[in-house]
Amino acid sequence: MAPSQAGYAPNLDKFLKSLKGQTLEASTESLIYLLKRKQVTGDECANATARMLLQVVAKSKWHDVDQLLARVQSTGSRLARAAPHEPVIGNIVRRVLGLIRDEATEDRNADEMSESVEDIQALSVPASPPPPRPHPGLIRTQTAGGSVVVSKSMFNLLSVADTADLPTTTSTPMSQAQPASVSTLRSEVIDGIEEIMDEISQADDQIATFADIQISPGDYVLVYQPTRTVEKFLVKAASKRRFTVFIAGIEPPHNGAAEAPYSALRKKLNAAGVHTICLASNGLMAYIPRINKVVINAKAVYQNGGLLVDSGSSIAALAAHAFSKPVIVLGGVFKFCPEDPSDQVKSGEQGSASSSVTYAEGAGVDALEVENTVTDYVPPELVDIYVTNLGPQTRHHLASILADHYKPEEMVLTMQLGDA
Amino acid sequence: GRRPSILVAEKDVRSGIPECFSHVPMAKRASTSQAHKDVHSAVLAVGQQMATFAIKDSIARLEATLLAFRKVIESYETPKGNSLSRHFVPHVLNPQIEYLTECRPMCFAMGNAIRLLKGMVNKFDIDTDETEAKEDLLEAIDVFIRDRITLAELIVARNAAAIINRGDVILTYGRHRLVEKTFLEAKQRGKEFDVSIIDDPYDGGGQELAKSLRRAGIRVFYSPNLGGLRPNVERAANVFLGAEAIFANGSLQAPAGTADIAMAASNAGKQVIALCETINFDRERVSVDALTYNEIDPERNTAESFRLLFDNTRDRFITGVITEFETGTGNSPAQAI
Repeated sequence: MAPSQAGYAPNLDKFLKSLKGQTLEASTESLIYLLKRKQVTGDECANATARMLLQVVAKSKWHDVDQLLARVQSTGSRLARAAPHEPVIGNIVRRVLGLIRDEATEDRNADEMSESVEDIQALSVPASPPPPRPHPGLIRTQTAGGSVVVSKSMFNLLSVADTADLPTTTSTPMSQAQPASVSTLRSEVIDGIEEIMDEISQADDQIATFADIQISPGDYVLVYQPTRTVEKFLVKAASKRRFTVFIAGIEPPHNGAAEAPYSALRKKLNAAGVHTICLASNGLMAYIPRINKVVINAKAVYQNGGLLVDSGSSIAALAAHAFSKPVIVLGGVFKFCPEDPSDQVKSGEQGSASSSVTYAEGAGVDALEVENTVTDYVPPELVDIYVTNLGPQTRHHLASILADHYKPEEMVLTMQLGDA
Repeated sequence: GRRPSILVAEKDVRSGIPECFSHVPMAKRASTSQAHKDVHSAVLAVGQQMATFAIKDSIARLEATLLAFRKVIESYETPKGNSLSRHFVPHVLNPQIEYLTECRPMCFAMGNAIRLLKGMVNKFDIDTDETEAKEDLLEAIDVFIRDRITLAELIVARNAAAIINRGDVILTYGRHRLVEKTFLEAKQRGKEFDVSIIDDPYDGGGQELAKSLRRAGIRVFYSPNLGGLRPNVERAANVFLGAEAIFANGSLQAPAGTADIAMAASNAGKQVIALCETINFDRERVSVDALTYNEIDPERNTAESFRLLFDNTRDRFITGVITEFETGTGNSPAQAI
């Protein structure tokens, strides 16, 4: 997960390094500070949240599942409130809560079921869903050690459950269940969170593997302020295809700032024979007739298929839609929110005004109501394909992905996380 | 020896332009020393101002050109054995036009005016007295500037201001002369309304407009870029956009970004009103996208940083066009040009 580019969020790195030496509360506070200052943004939030919750599980004092759930939820809410425009934080909190519930249920069931292990042993083939058992909601696989492991929904599909680490709870007498299951649960949940972290860190590469299907030779592809996800996607496509990339969203000149960034990306693409053109332009309608498809990065994908994006990306999506050009959205499944966008999301987040207007300009400026929208909402009608780490999806498939990744309990969590 | 040197210079300037935009023209600073010896000093000055975008919008360019041509006519003397109607256009006017076009591609308003001027010269009888012809031409230019520029601006502003209702929020893009005039006119008539300005960060004209409106006591919301497009559109009652030109098929040529706003506003069911003097109408050319008639920003003409100056707004995104003669849709026949 180490950022490859120099200067790519040194603050997240610093935070991650500091985790070991700090108390839980100090770490929480410093992450909240980073989130509020927007020094940790976008995909980094997901990683940071998972790491933080891992600390909560590992370091905080708890004696039963409910306490653990409460601890995770309380820290999670604080993080989510610190960055209300990073819904991915809430997603990770929900995933971790779901994970804890899964593991807890599994432990209890494992205890109850110690006598019936033989039955299951007789039945099952490892790693394949067994025939229907009278335990709704849980899919079980039989492991070599004789313990029962929940195949934890879709997000575990990509990682091999390391069953060797699992203590054999089957032999634990019920009377001693509590202390033993705390440490078991702790290590199981930690494993689960690490899997989520793997999922987050691998998402970009997995999404990139679908690049050469989506991009054909000779394409003119428009991207807006490409994030690491989009960059990897383009670079991967460039290894197979010759096309042209229009990079929009170049920072306009303020205080003589350099205009043509993304030099690392452009160098990589150019080296592969892919042309790049940096558009120093506000509007994008002018260029769309030349363009075949638009690739944008989602900060979050909502239940209805709408997107939270950096504000200019919505201009690109709108323009593409007006000319009936496909809009391809990239985003790992961890960005899928089990909720609809709030009105606040739909109206966009205001950024700092001072970067756009110099107050030194004096008279007139002081009375202006300056609005600098930094994030925006893209309605689902503008999106054609969602490319996730699980492959390309359509809007109609989102519900089943959400159902695979969130438990009903966590879907209700919206209010507690978002507001308060 | 003039031609080759210009071609070489032009090639150098254009070498960075990406292949897919290599057909789009671009303004360039043609050195005054390379100009044809017959180019009038007033035209040389105007040409330089156009090349550097000191004179930028179509009407400003038109007016500057006409005033410079006035000087050309004043200083013109028909050579012995020639008549003004035969000699003036090919030997005097054309080199001026050629030079201006070299500095920056002509806008449609200039093209229209020049056609009218040439038509007038051609109509002179071969025996027309030179002084009389010159006076006629000068007067025609004055009338033209008065009717098609000065009065047109007043009338468009008055008609557009009439559409503004009390309490409206009017959205506009960048700074356009007619739009600014309209807001000031409406305010002067005692209308209470707010203006929401979306600026082009590569131009910054919107900030100037904001200041001018603030001075007039109008409440202004200012967005430095298109980022806040959707919320801005939702808040607006109407959208007023200034046009650089309108094609025969009703498409609008306007500063890049205009089409994005018109489309978003039209999708949201808002009225999109374009303001344009009839002299900017082109009745011969059609354009359905921004790649047919456009200009490359000479400051940003490489793959590292590229920008088109205009975009093309299809008539389906425009509710109406207000001109000095009539108000209608983009492709309704405006008064003959």
